Order: sequence, then structure tokens, then C-alpha cells
Amino acid sequence: MDALIDKLKGEIIEQLNLEDVKKEDINNDAPLFGDGLGLDSIDALELIVLLEKNYGIKVANPQDGKKIFQSIRTMAEYIQANQK
Amino acid sequence: MEAYINGLSVISPQNTFNNSDFLSEPVVYTTNYLSCIEPSYKEYLNPTLARRMARIIKMGIAASNICMKDANVAMPDAIITGTALGCLEDTEKFLWAIIENEEQFLTPTSFIQSTHNTVSAQIALQLKCMNYNFTYVHKGFSFESALLDSLMTIAEGEAQNVLTGAHDEMTDKYYKVCDRIGYWKKENVSTFDLINSKTNGSIAGEGAAFFMLGAQKGENVYAKIRGLKTIYKPESAAEIEKHINQLLAEKGLTINDIDVVLYGINGDVQYDHVYYNLKDGLLKNSSATYFKHLCGEYQTASSFAMWIAAMILKTQNIPHAILIGENKRKPIKNVLIYNTFLNIDHSLLLLSAC
Repeated sequence: MDALIDKLKGEIIEQLNLEDVKKEDINNDAPLFGDGLGLDSIDALELIVLLEKNYGIKVANPQDGKKIFQSIRTMAEYIQANQK
Repeated sequence: MEAYINGLSVISPQNTFNNSDFLSEPVVYTTNYLSCIEPSYKEYLNPTLARRMARIIKMGIAASNICMKDANVAMPDAIITGTALGCLEDTEKFLWAIIENEEQFLTPTSFIQSTHNTVSAQIALQLKCMNYNFTYVHKGFSFESALLDSLMTIAEGEAQNVLTGAHDEMTDKYYKVCDRIGYWKKENVSTFDLINSKTNGSIAGEGAAFFMLGAQKGENVYAKIRGLKTIYKPESAAEIEKHINQLLAEKGLTINDIDVVLYGINGDVQYDHVYYNLKDGLLKNSSATYFKHLCGEYQTASSFAMWIAAMILKTQNIPHAILIGENKRKPIKNVLIYNTFLNIDHSLLLLSAC
């Protein structure tokens, strides 16, 4: 899980162009949206594409997004549970 | 149709963006690909928003921001821009992703930001400006079209202050495509050798320029825009001269009233004769200057020329970096810009001192 979290942080920083953010700045349990990283709805779309492109996981139900993208840890757990 | 230039800013391959220096120490290039010297964007952009923005968007927003501060105008009545290529880097990124990912996994950011009106839209979003907002995309006439609309908007009383700008960026891919067409020189030419070059092609450039045009003279006024003319594929030198005479006559001026002419000489032996015909003929009594050796060739380079013309009129100084021969005239009351892009789109722009 730790390796996946570390990899995911790197991918998010690159995909969302978080220039001044380092992996160690991202708390595993901090919210991705609003407070914490302060991501927005366009970032949510980028994260959905990231999951599909890098891990082959389609978020079929948009309602699940809120839970999946709550934090880095919830994203990693979702990937671990759904990756084929 | 006339308007005052009450504020300006240009981000170019020279140190121009904050107007504190007027080409006193020009940057000399020895390549055929000139890139802009960019300011620190942290002063002008919210970092959260900036992370998604491509270079040209940051350049456009920073230039517009400096321009508005220069004019002391917080909210323009209209935002009108011209660009030939739009946000090319994001367009390339988006198209490349379509090919690379076989039309799947398309991310929204580069798509959203790839449209030609992204810069003017982002300026409006940052300002929360709901006023008239338009972007003209007409190759070598893009800036002139934006300027024409701005002048008409002011003339019709629909706006007091119009933020008018132009922006175009050079990318590696576009440079290579244009190189295959023959736009650029095959050999490297140094900045001040360009004017003596006798080969085909020019040097590539880019820039973002913004002007605050006003119906009334502002406290920091630079110059007055007196007239603008565009000529598509003129058939002869005589036709160009006819248009110059017409423009001046409309303003009650003659050739002898033109103190300085700013030519778009770009070192391309195929087209520079257009400028030399005027310099050594109809306009031989005016001081001759040129600008594309400093900014490179691009479709909206005339916006860089307008920045120079306005600065000349305000400072009453012609930098050595742009002078051809000697300065024959003082005081400088009227400056004429003559520019062409590939000898297809020709434009005339007349500015006067205030």
C-alpha cells in the first residue's frame, strides 16, 4: 500500500501540474478537494482519466467519486480493490 | 476613429515587460528562434490557477495586468484580442494525446485551454469582467482586426476604456512545420546582422502585448492612435503608396508630417523590397526604424511595433537598436508603422504624440 500511495502522489503531482508541491507535502489522509490540496472539479476529471489510463479502472458511477477521491489513501484503497 | 494609448505592456524576447527600459540594452540573439523573456508570474497570477495555464496564457494575463496598472484602470469596458495561433502549446498537447492514446483518456485541461479566446477569457475571469469580450483570428491581420474593433467600439461610445491585445507563441513543433515551408532562414543570423541578410526566410518570434485604449486622455498617456489601414495582397508598390497617401489625407497630414517610420523589415530577401521601396522613395525624408530583429517574425508582431511607436512618442527617443541611419527629425510628432506578413497581409498604423 505504501508503494502505491507514493506512486500515486507522483502521478497526481505530474498530472495536475502541482509545481510547488512535493510528495512529502501531501498527507495521506488529508482531503484532496476544498481544504488540503485544494483541488477542483476540473482536477476531478483529470483524476478520473488518470485512474482509467494508468490503472485500467473506470469509475462507472459518478456518485462514487466523492468517496474514492476523498484522500490519497482512499484512492489507493480503491485502486487496490478494483485493479484487475 | 481615434483613441488614446493610456497604458501598455509587452512581453517579448527583449526586456520590455515593465516599460522601465526602452531597448537601451537589447538582447542579442544568434539563433533563428526567439523566445520571450518572461516575468516572475507569482506577482501577477494566483498560483492555484497558474498551474493549469500554458506559457502563452500566463504571458497574456501578466501583460494585461501590467497594462491595466500602467493605465490605472481597474475594469475595462471591453477586452478585445487578436491571435493567429491561439494557445498553440495546449492545442498540440491535446491533439498529440488524441493520437497517442488512440482517441481515449482525453484530459480536460489542455482541451479547455486550447481555444483561441482562452487568454481574453481568462483575463475576464480573473477580473470578473462581464463586458464585451472578443478575439480575432485573422492570421497577419489578427491584431489589426482587434484594434479596428476597439477603435470602433470607442468611436460608437460603447466603451471608454478598451483592453486591446495580441498574443502568439512559438513552439518547437510549429517552428519545424514552418521551417519546412521555408519561413525561417537556413543559416543562423545574429540580431543586428538580420537587416543585411540577403537570403530567404526570417527568424521566428513570439510575444504578448496589451494596450489600454481610451476615449479620453489618461494621466499616463503615451500616444494617440490616429488611423489604421489593412491591405490584402497589394498588386504593386504604387498601390501601397496610394493607401499611405489616402490614410494621411484623411487625417489632414502629408508625407512631410511623418517623422518616423517603423518598418517590419525581417531579413527575408523575398519581401523586404516592399519596405525599401518606401524607405528610399515616398518616405525617404522620415527617420527609418525597424523592429523584427528584436522580436522575430510572427503574425501579430505589429503589436510589438505599436509598443515601440508609443514609447518613441512618449519618450521622444529613438533607441539606437532600431534606428536605420540617423534620426532626422525632432520633435517626433507622427509615427507610421508599416508591416507585412509574408507580403500578403499589409498594415498601416498611424500614431501621433499627445
